[in-house]
Amino acid sequence: MPALTLDRLEKRYPGHTAASSVSLSVRDGEFISLLGPSGCGKTTVLRMVAGLIEPTSGRILVDGRDVTALPTNRRNIGLVFQSYALFPHMTVFENVAFGLRRQGVQGNDLKQRVDQALASVRLSALGERMPRQLSGGQQQRVAVARSIAPRPSILLFDEPLSNLDASLRDEMQIELKRLQREVGITTLFVTHDQGEAMSMSDRVCVLAHGVVQQFDTPEAIYHRPATGFVASFIGRPNRLAGRVVRSPEGAAAVHLDNGPVLTASGAEGMAHGAAVDVVVRQEDIRFADASTPHAATLAGRVAMRSFVGSRVQYLLAFGGTELIAEALTNGPHAGLEVDAPVRVAVEPQHVYVTPAAHRAAA
Amino acid sequence: MTPRRMTGALLASPLLLLLLLAFVAPVLLMVPLSLHPYEPGTGISAGWTLANYTSIFTDEYYREVVVRTLVLGFGVTAICLLMGYPLAYYIANAGPKMRLALTMLVIFPMLLNLVVRSFGWIALLANRGLVNNLLMDVGLIERPIKMMFNLFGLLVGMSHIFLPFMVLMLVPAIQAISKDVQAAAYTLAASRLRVFWSITLPMSAPGILSGSILVFVLTISALVTPRMLGGPTYKVMATLIYDDFLQTLDWPAGAAMSFALTALTLLVIGLSSRVLKRWGGHA
Repeated sequence: MPALTLDRLEKRYPGHTAASSVSLSVRDGEFISLLGPSGCGKTTVLRMVAGLIEPTSGRILVDGRDVTALPTNRRNIGLVFQSYALFPHMTVFENVAFGLRRQGVQGNDLKQRVDQALASVRLSALGERMPRQLSGGQQQRVAVARSIAPRPSILLFDEPLSNLDASLRDEMQIELKRLQREVGITTLFVTHDQGEAMSMSDRVCVLAHGVVQQFDTPEAIYHRPATGFVASFIGRPNRLAGRVVRSPEGAAAVHLDNGPVLTASGAEGMAHGAAVDVVVRQEDIRFADASTPHAATLAGRVAMRSFVGSRVQYLLAFGGTELIAEALTNGPHAGLEVDAPVRVAVEPQHVYVTPAAHRAAA
Repeated sequence: MTPRRMTGALLASPLLLLLLLAFVAPVLLMVPLSLHPYEPGTGISAGWTLANYTSIFTDEYYREVVVRTLVLGFGVTAICLLMGYPLAYYIANAGPKMRLALTMLVIFPMLLNLVVRSFGWIALLANRGLVNNLLMDVGLIERPIKMMFNLFGLLVGMSHIFLPFMVLMLVPAIQAISKDVQAAAYTLAASRLRVFWSITLPMSAPGILSGSILVFVLTISALVTPRMLGGPTYKVMATLIYDDFLQTLDWPAGAAMSFALTALTLLVIGLSSRVLKRWGGHA
């Protein structure tokens, strides 16, 4: 039985739909990310699961039980907020004890459970501090300890790491993942950061405009994007426009506006001349070497070069079209100068083609 | 002095000068005044005495007035808090339009002159006032109940007059409490009542503190309403000071009583801030 099921969950406001027929089935102990840009409905979905927002229609089932009508305080969920939302007038110990006290846990039992929760986030020594005496990272750990202490059936995270600085964020990602493995709580994690979603999750649910775009493993989301939106949102994409070109004998291709022609397996089955949106990821553009057949490459020149640490980014010009490509800093293509001629190749299956969103067909 | 601080001092100096001349100097002049004996019939004499201060504690009449003032101060503050908090809670959680409309309604009575509002209560509470007439007409009572010139009348009238101040201090304090923090308590299996008692109420301590101090200070220093609803005989410290200065011309006693009132105010403010800060975790 799935630990959490969302069944055609909808939230409509006058004039806009925040979540449209969202259906998900989450296995026990799974770590699921809801990923999407701001305003995509991910937080709305999370808050409906928490019972803080009432769905317009649809059902929420926890362990097969319909909780849609249950108030938040009877759902047995843990929720970690972006703002941490600690109780500022209580010590760290009392913050963590709050949920346990509501379950009637008392005395030694209470102390043991609080200590255990604090130990699991490595804050054992700080029980008597007040929240404002802690750093942002420590406050976030307290918030996590507070939400797992009552042993909820579902743990919800609402962009919990976005207020932390970059190095701390990486550290917390690993720690949260490790903790979630240890306690084995089914987890729903809302984020707009694809790296965060990919690295932490068993499966990722990509949302846009309140609609589920794809719900699959991080590898599948990355390698086989189901919609144009997913292709253009995941990875480091070049977003381009073009038209489908079909020759009687050859494979389908797209002619980029003012630019070169790219063979694209995704364009098969599309009509000649159809306007399309094209996504080519920076990391999918390969620099050609002597062994690459000439016919399969595009000739252009380096318009700009930027060094970004482990990688070198190039802005490449192909006629009127510009593409960003990257090379490893310690690889053979790291030292290209501006204006140097280059030849690159893109595998046909890495050219993601979708019918143009806002343009009429020719 | 750095140029920056010099500029600051210069900018503040006109107001500072005015305050020194018109406020601090008269107060300082009152210190020696309060230490002179007053002889009825002859006036203020040249000798020195502490009697004006000691009599506040020893004289039974003075003691009664001080205690009455304190009871009134705490009573009005408590009533305003109990009646104002639910209203403020509702306003703070209402939509923007409703909040504006309700805030206007709260402010509206303050647009009426204080004397007029106090007189309104006389019309209601007097022996031949609206309330007594109504109760007698209905037959619930045979003789009028005394509702003026006593603690009841002052409590009713002053609670009404100072309630808006309490509400206006409480609303922003309650609004400032993060919705996430309340939601967090709710997800931790707390009932709505528990969220209110354990989270919302303690977190609104700064508003409760500032509202209570404001109402308390306004109440124990109020003159017009106690004079109108208490009459010439049922006195509080403020009316007593007024009469000392302007009726009996016993300036030394009035000055001493003024300092006692100030000291009392500072003491209550100091103590209550400490208690409430600890409770609200802001210490």
